[in-house]
Amino acid sequence: MQRAATILVAVIALSALSGVGAYQMTSSRQGPHWQEIAWPFPRDGWPAGRAFRCDGRSCDGVELYVRAKRGFCNCDRGVADDEEVDRVADIDLITPRFTPMAHGDGVKLGDMQGRVRHYALTLPDGTPRTVAAIAVSRRCDLLVAVAQGRAEARTAQHMALAFLETEPLAAWTIAALEGR
Amino acid sequence: MIGRVQLAACLVVLACSSGAFAQKQQVIGAPPEAMNMRLTGFNDLQGRSAYQPTIHRQGDRWIAYIGHHGGTEDVPAPVNPLTGQAEPNGTSIVDVTDPARPKYLRHLPGQPGKYESGGAQMVRVCDGRSLPKGDPNAVYMLRTFGGEAHEIWNVADPANPVLITRLSGLKDTHKNWWECDTGIAYLVSGAPDWRTRRMTQVYDLSDPAQPRKIRDFGLPGQEPGSTGAVPTELHGPISTGPAGNRVYFGYGTNKGGILQIVDREKLLSGAKEPTPENLRYPEIARLPMSAFNGAHTTFPMLDMPIAEFAEDKDGKLRDIVMIVDEAILNECTEARQMVWFADVTTETRPMMISSFTVPEASGQFCQRGGRFGAHSSNESMAPVYYKKLVFIAFFNAGVRVLDIRDPYHPKEVGYFIPAITPATDKRCIPVEGGERCKVAIQTNNVETDDRGYIYIVDRANTGMHILELTGAARAAAGLPRS
Repeated sequence: MQRAATILVAVIALSALSGVGAYQMTSSRQGPHWQEIAWPFPRDGWPAGRAFRCDGRSCDGVELYVRAKRGFCNCDRGVADDEEVDRVADIDLITPRFTPMAHGDGVKLGDMQGRVRHYALTLPDGTPRTVAAIAVSRRCDLLVAVAQGRAEARTAQHMALAFLETEPLAAWTIAALEGR
Repeated sequence: MIGRVQLAACLVVLACSSGAFAQKQQVIGAPPEAMNMRLTGFNDLQGRSAYQPTIHRQGDRWIAYIGHHGGTEDVPAPVNPLTGQAEPNGTSIVDVTDPARPKYLRHLPGQPGKYESGGAQMVRVCDGRSLPKGDPNAVYMLRTFGGEAHEIWNVADPANPVLITRLSGLKDTHKNWWECDTGIAYLVSGAPDWRTRRMTQVYDLSDPAQPRKIRDFGLPGQEPGSTGAVPTELHGPISTGPAGNRVYFGYGTNKGGILQIVDREKLLSGAKEPTPENLRYPEIARLPMSAFNGAHTTFPMLDMPIAEFAEDKDGKLRDIVMIVDEAILNECTEARQMVWFADVTTETRPMMISSFTVPEASGQFCQRGGRFGAHSSNESMAPVYYKKLVFIAFFNAGVRVLDIRDPYHPKEVGYFIPAITPATDKRCIPVEGGERCKVAIQTNNVETDDRGYIYIVDRANTGMHILELTGAARAAAGLPRS
């Protein structure tokens, strides 16, 4: 009986180790792995979104906050300029004091278009950060995403966009924009 | 036997529930729903989506000027039957001297564009003889032209307006205020270099032919060159003029509302450069609202005697500001937008004292389609209703009449929900694989005239209904029995 238990523990341990190994290999081969975390901000006028932390050596601690904002008045023009990104992206949830690093760029996410802009800010504990803020619209609704971490803003932007384009996130985005 | 009873009971329940379902949506041909209000007259406004009505006495005539949103996907430019031409929505001018027989005089086209991206939503009117430097024979209509300009027209002959002035180069416009005795105008604009879509441009329009800009104004953080979070954008101000020396600015639509109380004299005479310090200088106080609610209309009612406080040594009179949120999403897919009353007597410590909403269950309004919630109030300060009754446009719940003589306890005394017509446009929400649409009245704005008639206009293209009070609501206003 004791022998059987020992074998079982050994099998479980080996399975776990091989699982971790497989995960690490997958991570290093397939890029960053995003772990969902609790929405870290207090309730405001918009329903909470989803937050993710990137696990892996290439992640540099990047976190991504994404949410749908239904009922956005610029129904025809969409996110037409950088000031719109300043206004609608959720950077102010991290800190109300942020400075754009440069003019933004146009961006496309699925069938939605908008802009992405990079900002420098200082976290409440004094840590400097750069963030990439993405705002895209569909008719009168918005999807905003902010990626922040130790990585360069452009790197964080690419990681965030790649993740947002994955099937599960794309499906969630559609559902969120439809209020489901 | 028991089985038959159960079957009968089920059929009764089914019949009742299907009846209840039928009541949820309006039906063409069904009568309006009303309490202490009745329909006097109607005009379809050429099937155009309507925003601000302003009713102005011109000699012995009463003229209604109605601003319109842009057109719809289906009908971007409705045909004007008077000209036979397809015209982008602009301003309707209607003679309402006989409110039972309103006569459509003229449609003045606005900026081409759909919904909020076109049209000419806002309109205010001042007599030339009341403006310090106006032509005494002129009547001036200030209107927006889509999001790109403000215009002033001479509408002394309301059927033949003449353009006087155009202030263009803007990225947005909205709910202006114009003091007819001084000519000072608070133009809700989008100055191209400001970080917000809507802010205030203060103009001296005492001579409408020679507009003089006084300054740009907004919340610190909205001005050019600033960084960080951008405060909630402006919706509209209301000034009490030189006598009251206050301007009440409402920021927000359905979220993050702010009531800002501003010293008018400091606003007009303070340093003009839009620095954070200069923008803060005229501000007396702010009342931040819940993140769930915005401030579409901020309607001041100062020095209101409160009966309950009549025997109190202090505080018998209260300065009240009514704040009306704007619902923007269909079928209750947002937090409830409603009406709030703030006591601003101690100006630096304004406080919400009461609120009002239409009980949803009273009409199953979340099921009817379109928006349900507040949008705007009447803004006339004519004695007939001022500080006694207010009228709130509540989208699919029509117009609601509140007795606000005790603003600590506002009480509904009437309502009118117009019937839909074949012109009433659908309102849709996304559902999996497509969208679902319903047709419902969308009472968007309301105004009153000095005679006591109430004008409500519809966002869903139904037109304009002219109403009068009856019963207890009429008595509350002190009007003679009709």
